[in-house]
Order: sequence, then structure tokens, then C-alpha cells
Amino acid sequence: MKTSKSFLFFCTFPALALFLIFMAYPTISVFVMSLYKWGGYSAAKTFVGLNNFRALMEDDRFIGSFRNSVILLVLVSIVTLFLALWCANALTREKIRAKGLFRVIFYIPNILSAVVIAAIFSAIYDPSRGLANSLLSLVGIEPVMWLGNRSVVIYSIAIAMIWQATGYYMVMYMSSMSAVPHSLYEAADIEGASRKTKFFSVTLPLIWTNVRTTLTFFIISSINISFLLVRAMTGGGPDGASEVFLSYMYEQAYTNSSYGYGMAIGVVIFVFSFALSALVNLATRREIVEL
Amino acid sequence: MLAISVAVPVAWVFMASLKQNSEFYESPWKLPEGFNFKNFTDAWYDANMGTYFINSVFVTLMAIAILLAVALPCAYVLSRFSFRGRGIIKALFMGGLFINVSYIVVPIFLMLVGLNRSLQVTFFLNNHFVLALVYASTALPFTIYLLQSYFATLPRAYEEAAYVDGCSPFRTMLQIMVPMARPSIITVILFNFLSFWNEYIIALTFMTDDVMKTLPVGLMNLMKAQNAAAQYGKMYAGLVIVMLPTLILYILVQKKLTEGMTVGGIKG
Amino acid sequence: MKKIISIILCAFICLSALASCRNRNADNNSSATLKVAVLESAYGSEMWEKVCDEFEKVSEDVNVELTADKNLEDVIGSKMKGGDYPDVVHLATGREAALTETMIKEGALTDLSDVLDMKVPGEEVTVSEKIIPGFTDTLATNPYQNKKTYLAPMFYSPCGLFYDANLLREKGWELPTTWDEMWALGDKAMAEGIYLFTYPTAGYFDAFIYSLLASSGGVDFYNDVMNYREGVWDTSEAKAVLDIVAKLKDYTEPTTVANSTGDNYLKNQQLVLDGKAIFMPNGTWVVEEMADAPRADGFEWGFTALPAIKDDRYSFTFFEQCWIPQEAKNKEAAREFVAFLYSDKAAQIFAEYGAVQPILNMTDKLSEENKLFYSVYENGAKAVMGGFAATEAVEGVSIYNTLFEAVNSIMTGDKTVDQWRSEIISVSDKLRNNLK
Repeated sequence: MKTSKSFLFFCTFPALALFLIFMAYPTISVFVMSLYKWGGYSAAKTFVGLNNFRALMEDDRFIGSFRNSVILLVLVSIVTLFLALWCANALTREKIRAKGLFRVIFYIPNILSAVVIAAIFSAIYDPSRGLANSLLSLVGIEPVMWLGNRSVVIYSIAIAMIWQATGYYMVMYMSSMSAVPHSLYEAADIEGASRKTKFFSVTLPLIWTNVRTTLTFFIISSINISFLLVRAMTGGGPDGASEVFLSYMYEQAYTNSSYGYGMAIGVVIFVFSFALSALVNLATRREIVEL
Repeated sequence: MLAISVAVPVAWVFMASLKQNSEFYESPWKLPEGFNFKNFTDAWYDANMGTYFINSVFVTLMAIAILLAVALPCAYVLSRFSFRGRGIIKALFMGGLFINVSYIVVPIFLMLVGLNRSLQVTFFLNNHFVLALVYASTALPFTIYLLQSYFATLPRAYEEAAYVDGCSPFRTMLQIMVPMARPSIITVILFNFLSFWNEYIIALTFMTDDVMKTLPVGLMNLMKAQNAAAQYGKMYAGLVIVMLPTLILYILVQKKLTEGMTVGGIKG
Repeated sequence: MKKIISIILCAFICLSALASCRNRNADNNSSATLKVAVLESAYGSEMWEKVCDEFEKVSEDVNVELTADKNLEDVIGSKMKGGDYPDVVHLATGREAALTETMIKEGALTDLSDVLDMKVPGEEVTVSEKIIPGFTDTLATNPYQNKKTYLAPMFYSPCGLFYDANLLREKGWELPTTWDEMWALGDKAMAEGIYLFTYPTAGYFDAFIYSLLASSGGVDFYNDVMNYREGVWDTSEAKAVLDIVAKLKDYTEPTTVANSTGDNYLKNQQLVLDGKAIFMPNGTWVVEEMADAPRADGFEWGFTALPAIKDDRYSFTFFEQCWIPQEAKNKEAAREFVAFLYSDKAAQIFAEYGAVQPILNMTDKLSEENKLFYSVYENGAKAVMGGFAATEAVEGVSIYNTLFEAVNSIMTGDKTVDQWRSEIISVSDKLRNNLK
């Protein structure tokens, strides 16, 4: 379609201007700051080149936070994806009463603030009278130190994240599933397809673009939400065992008086999430099923 | 089973907001001994949550208004017209999805401080409008992305008909396309309402005057501070106050929501 | 739909008009305004309001503008980045946000040495004559080792082990004075299903380890450690300290680590109230902090210095700090104000709320419970004060994490003492090269 230049200009300019001022420019200055040593308050900024990045490579705590972020990203994304698809499929395809109610209830964790989630889960994970250990003791399993064991704590946080995110993605998948024409399922029924085949050969291919897009959302939101939850639930502890990207960035930039170093971590987060989702995008490219 | 796993903890928060301080030392799963509504009045009046509530409503609505006014035309144009620079603009917004507020908040703050200083004003900080503007800006990439993919699913026939009738592109957009995008707009409003309403880091940095603070920042004052006696009842009451509006809004629009979220969905 | 848009547009215009109205009440800075920013800790903020009122009475031309907040770092941190500095700040080191440490590392504090020679407003004595000797020559007040005081010592509190005095009495257990007695008591208690030890968070090991270091090697040794002296962690004195912490692992209540993060640390303090663990390292604020909590029948707070490693027992004296930023606009009035904090009037007000100023002859004016805590030094324990020397910021390196946070890993068995020690040595090495 052809149209006047001025119309195009007036439509895109405000958005572009706001974006450049409040998003692009600050991001560039983060990149610039990552090359400096600066405490955050005084005027003394020293240019140190790539020193901050070099120091990152040798920083065990940073490497730990990197590993934790990746574990959470992979684990939470995969489990949430399956749970959400499964629930969405069940709620759109099966005849379940009070669908609306389920939709409301599942979505609730998503609107709770991290503080509430942390409070709820600290009651669940309480070592002596929490819900989790009470259930385990019923089956005769020794109590687990959900937040106290260095190798368990990150999975305890993953569970909270999955609990929080499933409803959100479920609602998303439900919307695209409900757009799949009913006639296709009827045709499948005539051919005697099982539920499983219907899901894998009708539903999934048709909502594939949607699923792909949510993969990008998974990457972005898991980095964000893991930070909010970690800060509220464990503060990165015990002894840094649950530190993630952003929580470590905060610790360095604001409490270790290494603002430039913190910004270097910020740059790594940006580049990492960007590259990863480009990669995921490439890997999941399929022929789009057109109707 | 899954529904219970969600419903129980949420009920737990409501329960906790009715407890007295001493009850928090007992089992967290015990029912409250009585209905202690004093927590709510305490939070609302003593902790200033009333003022913060109004501030939050104000900032959130303003930010959503700005966001829609700016993002709708842009998303429409990006999805419907091909012109020079379109690819770059699209790529910019896509890249914007990966920018995290946590690290750009200080640069934005320093920029605003710089503006204040060079123009000899105090306008740019402690200003709800500026806060709303920043909120809207940070939400642009996601919003444009969402709207754009929805616009792309709409048939072109309507616009072409409008053109034949001699309708200007601006009117076509406003009167034909925007109404058709309604489900998607509702989705955008809900998502952004949630994120603006709960936003903490930017508001904390920009709003240093007590009377200007928003609800999540005010909530921090109710939180447990280290080495000080806890006010749990008040804190949970505050949490419920923050949570209720989002809950109500979601229940109101949840039916519409499913229609609007066909992100990169099926082509019609 | 058109309607919706026009409503939104209208609302938008109205709101922005309103927004500009709301912002008109910008504060106008008169030179006589003194901006005081204080941390609202367990003592509350009321005492500060009263002290500010009293100060206004003494120096009539000054108008105090008080900011008291539980999250003071968040409130003044961004203001300061924007160039808006308070004139006086009461905020201690050792807080999670470490704002005071940042100011020290940045060299952004005003030299307060001359305040010590000033006369206390309304009185005839100088500040230094009132402050208890020793308080103004520690690393916590003179961080750069140049004999100059940059941080004024405030509310002090002895740190040591808190316990249920009634529990020990009923069981007929003696209070241990050496670590051998301590382990013996631990074995006895474990036999009855009571654990010897718990701790709120790993951060509470700062005062604990400080006291142990002094007890193990004396004050000079302690100062060597605080100055990152080379080889200091290779000495048998330092090893003895780390070994004690490691041995505590076997006597520590097993849920302690799990509850040591986030807000759950109250559950660890509860263990002592419930009689499930005997000792915890803590400060005097714990009494107020746990005021609402249920407790075992007959529970009675007890407080003791740490058992001795060699001859002497030490109790680390924690105190808060008050400072004037380099960028403060109203330094003269700020100095006056800091001096006034040591007046009898101010000290009296603080004491009513349980906050004890480090000035002479204060202990008689304390409540009975506080007397118990503050008399620890009269009962044979020696005082040790001050934390690590100030360094330039070193990226990714923090003695706090390596020395104290790591205790959690010792307690779970994820780190051995040798690993712990070699990490401390490597961090000490890095920080030594960056001493201010």
C-alpha cells in the first residue's frame, strides 16, 4: 500500500523518539560505563578498557550466577512449556465445567508480587513445619532443606518460578488454540485419531508460531523473574548458591561499589539473552502451516 | 489438583492479612483467630497507603494512555506499510525486548538529573508525568510487538475498501483498524497495567518525595527491616491492597483476553 | 471505540494538567535548613524527632528537616546520585546495601576531627571529653589510618551470645567460659536433644569472628587481620578461630542454614526462645525484635561474652555511625548537630528508647535489662571495636562474602576449613594491594 510520507512519519516518530531517548540511549551508556571503573557517587571515573570483562571471567561468583541463570532458564522454560501446553489443551478441547474459573485461578500467580510469592514459598519450604516436608514425611522421606542446601536451593526457586509462570503461558496458548478451526478436529475424529495424534498433528503445528514467540518471552522473563524471586526468597544465599545474573549485577553495582563492573554484567546479560533467542529462533524454524 | 496448588497459597495471603502480629510466630497454616481488620486501616492511614494508592492509579492510567497513543499508530504502520527504514525500526524494537529495566534505570536517572541541572529546574524528578513517560517507553517494544502481530492477522479488504471510498489513512487507522484490534488492545492494557502497577525499581529511583511515592514503593516501608520488630499483619494487608485492583481488572477482562493474545498467531 | 479513544485522550490531557499542578510545591532551600537523614532501626524514629526539636531550641537559626526511613539507602541513595546530599547521615556500616562503605571507599566523607574538639552545644565540655576513650580511634571511625575521624560513633551495643538464662539454671548447667567447657556443655545438651548453637544469618558471624580473633591473638593481632597484613591467616591464632567455627557445625541446629536467608532468620532466633538451641550470636536489639514472639515458660534473656580461646574473653562492641557527606551544603550546622548528639539531653532521649550513646557515665541511666548487657565489660570481658580497613573497590571481591557468608557453606559441609582459609587469604591479598 502506498501512502504519504508525513503520515508514516507522524505515526512512527513519537514511538521512535521515546524509544531512543529512554531505551536506546541509556543502553548505550550502560555499554560505555562497562568500560570504566566507577563507584557510583564520586566524580572519579577511570577508563579501564575491557578490564571489567576480563575480571568477570575469573570471578567464581559470577560464573556461579551464570550457571544458575542458565539452569533456571532451561529448566523453567521446558517444564512451563509442557505444563502450559497440556493445561491449555485440556481446557480448550475437553469439556470441563467452570472453564472461566480455572482461567482466573491459573492466572493469579502471575499478578502476585514477588514478595507474596516469596512469603508463600517460605511457608511451604519451612524445614520443620512447611507443607513440602510434611508431605514428604507422609511417604517417609527425610526432610529436605529446600532453601538451605546449596545444591537444592536453585531447584526450589525453579519450582516457584514454574508455579508463577504456567498460568500466563497457558492463557496465551489457549487463545491461539481456540483459533484453530473446529472443522479440523472433526475431520480428525472421522479418521479416528486419538487425542494424542490430534494434539501433535493438528494443534501443535498450527500454534507453532505462537510457541516460538513465547520461547523468546521465556528467555526475557526468566532472567527478570528469577531476580525478583531470588531477591525476595534467598537474597542469593546460602553463600551465593542461588545468585542469578541480575542479583549479582545489583550486588556488584550497588553494594560492592563497583558500578562499572555491574554494568559489564548488564552488557553480558543483554548480549547473552539476545544471542540465545536468535539461536532458538533459528533452531525452531519450521515451515509455517498456512490454512 | 493444579487449581488447588494455586488457590491455597493465595487464600493464605488473605488469611495472613487478617492475623495479629503474635499469630505469625505460630504455624503459618493456622487460621486467623479473629478478623483483624485493623491491619487494613493501619496500612491505609498510618502507612500512607491511601496516598500511594491514588498516586499509583494516576501514574498507571497516564502511562497506559501515553503508551496506547504512541504505540498503536506505530504498530499499525509497521505492520501495514512498506517503506524505507521499516526494517531498521522493527529490528530496533525487537532488540529493545532484551533491554532490562534493572540496568538502564540509573542511566535514565542521571539523564534526568542532567536535564534538571542544565535547565535549572526540578521538573524532571518527582514528577508523575515523567515517570509515566518512562514507563510507557520501557513498555514500547513489547507492546508494539504484540499489536503489530495482531494487525498482521487482520484482513486487508477493509482498508482497501476505505481507500476506494476516499478515506484518509489517518481516519482509516482510527476508525477501522483500531476498533478491529480491540481484543489485542485489551490484552496490552492488562499486561501493562500489571507491570506498571507492580513496578518498583524505577519508581523508587525517580520519586524521592514521600508524597509522590507509588504503592509498591510504599509497601517497602511496611516490610520487615533488619533488626527491627516486624509488623506482619500490616504488611500482608498492604500486599492485599496492592493485589486487589489487578485481581479485579483481570477478572473483568479475562474473557476478552484469550481473543487478543494471538501473538504471531494463525494467519486468517 | 472512538469513544474509548476520546475518553483516553481527555483523561490524558486532564491528568497531565494535574501532574504539572502537583509538582509545583518544590522545596525552596534556605541556608538555615539542616537536612538530617537517619536510619529508622529497632529504636524507632520518634527519638530522632525529639532530638531534632531539642537541637532547634539550642541553635535557634537552624531548621532541621528530618528524613527517617527503614530503607534509608534507597531513599537518599538516588537523591545523592542526583546531587542532592543530606547534611548529616546516621547510617552504620555492615548493612546489606553498604552505602556507608561505598562513601568510605569513594572518599566522600567530611573530616570530623574538629568536631571532637568542639564544645557540646548547651554544655561546657568538648565532645572528645564526653566520648568513652577508645571509641574514636578505631577503623570504624578512622577508616584511612591517618588519625583523622570521619565517622562519629553512635549507639553502641556489646555483641556476644544470647541464651535463655532460665533454661541453664533449671538444667543446672554452668555458663562456659572456655571453648572446652563450651563443647562439654554441647555434648551434655545434645544428649537431651537440645542443640548448642544457632545463628540468625551468616552475617552475624562478623562480631562473632571479630571477638574470636581478639581472644585468640590479642588486639594487635586483631588489627593485623583488619589491615589485611600478609600471612596473618597462616598463623595458628587465625587457624584456631576458623577451626572453632568449623567445629560448631556439629553442634548447630540443623535447620539453621535453611532459615538463614531472606526473612526466615527470625525462625532461627525463635529456636533460642523455644529452648531448642542454647546460644546464638546477636546484639541487644534482639530483645525488641522478638518482643511479640512466644517463648518457653520462665524464659529470661541471658547474655555472655564469647568463651575464651586463650586467656581473655572479648566482646565485640558494635556501634552505629554518623557522618557528614563531603557534598553537604550546610557543614557548619551539620557539625553543631553531630556535637549535639553527645549532649546529656540527646543521650537521655536516646536512652529512653534503648539506644545508648558511647559517652561516659551512661550505664547508670539504663533500664535493668540493658544494664545486664552493658555490664559485660565490667564482668571481665574486654572490648574490641572496628571492622576492616577501607580499600578501593575491587571488582567481584568482598571480604564480607568470603569470610562471613561462607560460614553457611561450612555449616552444610560444602566447604572445608582449608578451602575457606585459602579463599580468605586470596581475598586478603587482593584487598591489601588496594588499601586506601
